[in-house]
Amino acid sequence: MQFRLEKRREPSRVVLYSAPLIAVLLTMFFGAIIFSAIGYDGVGAVREIFLTPITNSLKWQDLAVKASPLIIIGVGLSIAYRANVWNIGAEGQYIMGGLAATWVALLTHGMGGFWILPAMMVAGFLGGAAYAAIPAFFKTRLNVNEILTSLMLTYASVQLIYYLVRAPWKDPMGMGFPQTRRFASEALLPNIVPGTIVHAGVPIAIIVALVAWFVMSRSVFGYQVKVVGSAPHAARYGGFSENKTIWLALLLSGALAGFAGALEVSGPFQRMVPGFPTNYGFTAIIVAFLGRLNPLGVIFAGIIMAITFVGGEVAQTTIGLPSSASGIFQSMMLFFLLAGDILVRYRLKRVAPQGEARA
Amino acid sequence: MPNRLELSGITKQFPGVLANDNVSFAVKPGEIHALLGENGAGKSTLVKMIYGIMQPDAGEIRWNGEPVVVPNPKAARKFGIGMVFQHFSLFEALTVLENIALGMDAKVPSRELEARIREVMATYGLALDPHRTVATLSVGERQRIEIVRALLLNPQLLIMDEPTSVLTPQEVEQLFTVLRKLAAEGCSILYISHKLHEIKALCDVATILRGGKLVDTCDPKQETSRSMAEKMIGSGLKDIVKPEGRSFGTPKLVVNRLSTLSTGHFDIPVRNVSFTVRAGEILGIAGVAGNGQNALLDALSGEVRSDDRDAISIDGLGIGGMDTTERRRHGLCAVPEERNGHAAVGDFSLSDNSVLTARDRLGMVVMGLINSGAARTYTGRVIADFAVKALGPASTAGSLSGGNLQKYIMGREILQKPSVLVVSQPTWGVDAGAAAAIHQALVDLAAAGSAIVVISQDLDELRALADTLAVINMGELSAARPVKDFSVEEIGLLMGGVHGEAAA
Repeated sequence: MQFRLEKRREPSRVVLYSAPLIAVLLTMFFGAIIFSAIGYDGVGAVREIFLTPITNSLKWQDLAVKASPLIIIGVGLSIAYRANVWNIGAEGQYIMGGLAATWVALLTHGMGGFWILPAMMVAGFLGGAAYAAIPAFFKTRLNVNEILTSLMLTYASVQLIYYLVRAPWKDPMGMGFPQTRRFASEALLPNIVPGTIVHAGVPIAIIVALVAWFVMSRSVFGYQVKVVGSAPHAARYGGFSENKTIWLALLLSGALAGFAGALEVSGPFQRMVPGFPTNYGFTAIIVAFLGRLNPLGVIFAGIIMAITFVGGEVAQTTIGLPSSASGIFQSMMLFFLLAGDILVRYRLKRVAPQGEARA
Repeated sequence: MPNRLELSGITKQFPGVLANDNVSFAVKPGEIHALLGENGAGKSTLVKMIYGIMQPDAGEIRWNGEPVVVPNPKAARKFGIGMVFQHFSLFEALTVLENIALGMDAKVPSRELEARIREVMATYGLALDPHRTVATLSVGERQRIEIVRALLLNPQLLIMDEPTSVLTPQEVEQLFTVLRKLAAEGCSILYISHKLHEIKALCDVATILRGGKLVDTCDPKQETSRSMAEKMIGSGLKDIVKPEGRSFGTPKLVVNRLSTLSTGHFDIPVRNVSFTVRAGEILGIAGVAGNGQNALLDALSGEVRSDDRDAISIDGLGIGGMDTTERRRHGLCAVPEERNGHAAVGDFSLSDNSVLTARDRLGMVVMGLINSGAARTYTGRVIADFAVKALGPASTAGSLSGGNLQKYIMGREILQKPSVLVVSQPTWGVDAGAAAAIHQALVDLAAAGSAIVVISQDLDELRALADTLAVINMGELSAARPVKDFSVEEIGLLMGGVHGEAAA
């Protein structure tokens, strides 16, 4: 018996929306097998990683705090990817946004004023956008692949943190630790649920996703992004400039990543430290795809990814799983999702072996 | 003498469509047999089964009286069946000889092969130098390679799939001479086409297919083009209603010494093109494919802007520097040749495709937001007025057949009532019924006072449709003259231009 892929007349909506669910289920299934095979409690690993964060209400605040930067960055990336602009450097833009916000916080230290936090947020936006402007410039002027430039710039930004926290921005009272001073209270993100770690970034993430959803589904800008992404020739015919769209897509995804960086540094971190890069920018790539490049889907995908982060930490302490376990689960999820996506456009068809036709 | 080829009860089912339904006919030795039908009538499927590319689900193929199974094209060639495809499979960087050698089933020493090629070419009057590189050859010459390749096998049946769609009238005449000579020597020819006057001129018998079924087998010389067309589409054919002796208004679209830059691949740029189209006038631009038509359309639509503002003007206003959106606002709409991915986005719904070009002229955008209700309503109107076969405005463009998508695209532009419309290949790959509807819509639009430019390779279409005609060759446009003043021979000479084909 042979199978063949046959193109569907219309892309299947059922598969389109069920693929993420199937990918999660397959990840759990194969995750259990793999971890059993290498000598861990596979079923327990899946339970701790995927279920404990949901069933244990103490973990919910962790989920919200982990999910919000993923959602904000994921929303930006989902827009860029719709335009066929492959911004892989959200991690770098997130770092630059965090650094820009830090710069404002340090500069205004001791000044006081309600405007400091908003100024940090704006700096985060601009820092991320400016960093994404570099790949945009090279892409539109010299046709340099944005995947390479944006990814490589990430490593440059990490070095920039190391330099800044070790020399010019080093906390004078920090006993030699490579970190900035703790931000003044005016530069800290307020907590919105007393007694928890849930900060203002959580509702902001939801609002960002809702606004992005509206813009992408209803506005001419959203239309432009989608046309340029799926048929650049038709976009030109329709009067949309490809270069302009590349700029907008990179600036917007960079700005949102930078904004997430500003929220993180002023929220959970409260200062800039060398450990600031936590791979949110890379994980958000999976979030964008898992959310079907749809801002509303990104909310759910962000939560699922946050579950694997939080669950990974739980599994480390309860069943001694290595910390890289959650990375393996996340990668498997992306792998199964992309593999499943082929069935959106194609269906599996059984074909008779060649020999029979000769009879 | 038994029939060379006899089909009885051939049936082929594809998912959702019966491509051939109990088709039976016979081809006699030395007969030129036309296989006629609209797009999707099942001609290609039938021929693929004869040539062994596909297998029938039911029915029998008899070859010289013997029932046979043709498992693959190699077996077909062994029987003596040759085929010349519509799309050539040639390596541009190799010579004629090398291309033919690559396509041979048996390995023949190149000296011997060259001798045989020269012999075949001498016998049939096919002028071609075996040592020329394919890239330097015209389309007509490339087709000769394919014919020579088929003739080297001494075929008893030669299948020709739409052979004339890319040829100038002179090249067509040369081809017919070769085919008649072959037939006189006893080789049967199965000639697939939808060009009725060619079939009348060339063929002894015509088998007409419609919707996978055999409708009629007739003698084309006894039929009129019209009667055959009606059998093909299954209903009365509407004539283009074109008022005679129309007068034209003031110049609407004026193109003055328009040149484009070479894009560095495939297409030829246009050089110093000038023409004027008046209100109510249809200007036809004829030419063999790849002579600058795409560059001309891009330059007119605004996809490629000109440095010279006055190279193109509408009603005296220079629009050379404007992009497509601005040009549409000034009344110029355009339809490029490529439907999927250029004139329409296959992944998008028809409604979203309407937003692509009609958003400004029909008020589908309010303060940066898309009014999807307006897009749906307009799309519904296009579907109704142009009889587009689609489930509704929410169907994706990619799910429509080529002809229906073209009707939708033409409707989308025409219902915007542009004052200037530029279209390329408006009925390419579209069945006769749909083509007639599109032609009538263009004529009606002109009658309402619009200026229209039709770029096409189909001379019949241009002669029926256009008021004035110009010919594009190697990026240069001949002077436009009333279409009645041209003879087919003259158009052919202009189309052949510097290829030097006409003299051959």
